[in-house]
Amino acid sequence: MTALASIRDLSVTYRRDGSEVAALKNITFDVQAGERLAIIGESGSGKSTLALAIAGLLPASVRIEGHIDWFLPSTSGAKAPPLLGRDIGFVFQDPSASLDPVITVGKQIAEVAHTHLGLTWSQSFAKAKQLLERVRLPDPDSALRAYPHQLSGGQKQRVAIAAAIAAGPRLLIADEATSALDTIVQAEIVALIRRLVAEDGMTLLFISHDIALAAKLAERIAVFRHGQLVELGATARIINAPTQTYTRTLLDAHIGLDAEPLLNRGGTRG
Amino acid sequence: MSLLTVSGLTKRYSRGGKTLTAADDVSFHVEPGETLALAGPSGSGKSTIARLVLRLIEPDGGRIEFEGGDFLALGGSALRARRARLQMVFQDPLAAFNPRATVARVLDDPLRIHGIASRAERPRRIAALLERVGLAADLAPRAIHEISGGQRQRVAIARAIATKPSLIVLDEAVSALDVSVRGQILDLLLDLQREQRIAYLFISHDLGVVRAIAHRVILLDAGRIAESGDARAVIDTPRSAIGKALVAAAPRLNRNRP
Repeated sequence: MTALASIRDLSVTYRRDGSEVAALKNITFDVQAGERLAIIGESGSGKSTLALAIAGLLPASVRIEGHIDWFLPSTSGAKAPPLLGRDIGFVFQDPSASLDPVITVGKQIAEVAHTHLGLTWSQSFAKAKQLLERVRLPDPDSALRAYPHQLSGGQKQRVAIAAAIAAGPRLLIADEATSALDTIVQAEIVALIRRLVAEDGMTLLFISHDIALAAKLAERIAVFRHGQLVELGATARIINAPTQTYTRTLLDAHIGLDAEPLLNRGGTRG
Repeated sequence: MSLLTVSGLTKRYSRGGKTLTAADDVSFHVEPGETLALAGPSGSGKSTIARLVLRLIEPDGGRIEFEGGDFLALGGSALRARRARLQMVFQDPLAAFNPRATVARVLDDPLRIHGIASRAERPRRIAALLERVGLAADLAPRAIHEISGGQRQRVAIARAIATKPSLIVLDEAVSALDVSVRGQILDLLLDLQREQRIAYLFISHDLGVVRAIAHRVILLDAGRIAESGDARAVIDTPRSAIGKALVAAAPRLNRNRP
């Protein structure tokens, strides 16, 4: 496999009230072209900071050290940095925050195609309709004219995904994109992401706090804690033979449908 | 006699000219010292039922009996007094508390309002409550927004048990916690239940957690009870369509255990 992005000694420091907080410390790894890579960690692990750093979305006040080298098939020939929207699609946790409440769904998707693909507006709207069909939104024709508030949480996330992939990006970043959804809708969105990534040959960065969900989708898993990369490996290896204590702690903390009931550790009733 | 008996509970909302039945003729009971879970997808009515039981909203029909009395008939000081026995913990304690209040203040309120301890006695009671939920007494002067999410949820539990309740409604109370913290909070809840025979109405979308800590479960779909029974039995072999869908959608780790 060849690398899509090489992250080398990346450190990110936030400045808050005169003090500095290191969100990422000397991170080095490659994102392979075409892979589904999960970044998992708990709060404060730096996983979202990493997603923002890769997407070039960190605010200017943040100190960034190290570098990210990109290997994108470039039209200009030069090794240009990626453009968010065109080369990278980004799906956030809360689609209500990423969608504009006063612009129709169709317009928001068409805008991405119009801006990055140089399509005319009517071509862009045709493309938007096609995309709404691809993300399986019921009744795409009326969805084109709908406003975000008229859709359910799961439907809004489908629209956000349609907008993220509208320009045909090489890399799709989903940052806790299913965390605010209930289990059934979450499973549908995960299946949708998997299908779209396969159909378009995209690389996927799936940021999540949920190791079981990550294992379902990703080929490789990177475990983060306190701004550091704890371990990175093939999903089966991370799940069945973790080398780090912290990874084992995360795995043991998962309460699955086959977990030993906590209730049985001492009789409660009676 | 059951601790809580809910019968025919109904709540309708009208939205944009359409009527949405958030709770549709829902009946169940909770025994002392028992955990009954309410599970279901978004919009299934589980939080509406929690709010109805707490009387944060009023039903359109049905009855709620709590500790042998008609809970819906209570008002004024009688309701306030009875509320000491029926407490709640929500998903986000930062939203439930004044973020600038100190930990001590959050715990002082119920002791004062319900006349549980005199002014002179309260600092000692607060220290005891903090100790009971596994927090250091020196956390008392800290502001709610300064402490971690796990610590805040422990404070919320301390506040809930301050009034010696017989029932605590836990509405997605562990859903926003990091997994390493979640296990500790579940252990704390189980310890308190064993020690003080508190019953829990445990609202959750997470069937794994429900199966691990609840005695019985009710699966809700569109405001109605789809199925109910022993938590393990229902989740291991769901019979309803929504039960099957929820179980199929739950993420699995499929570890090869040694």
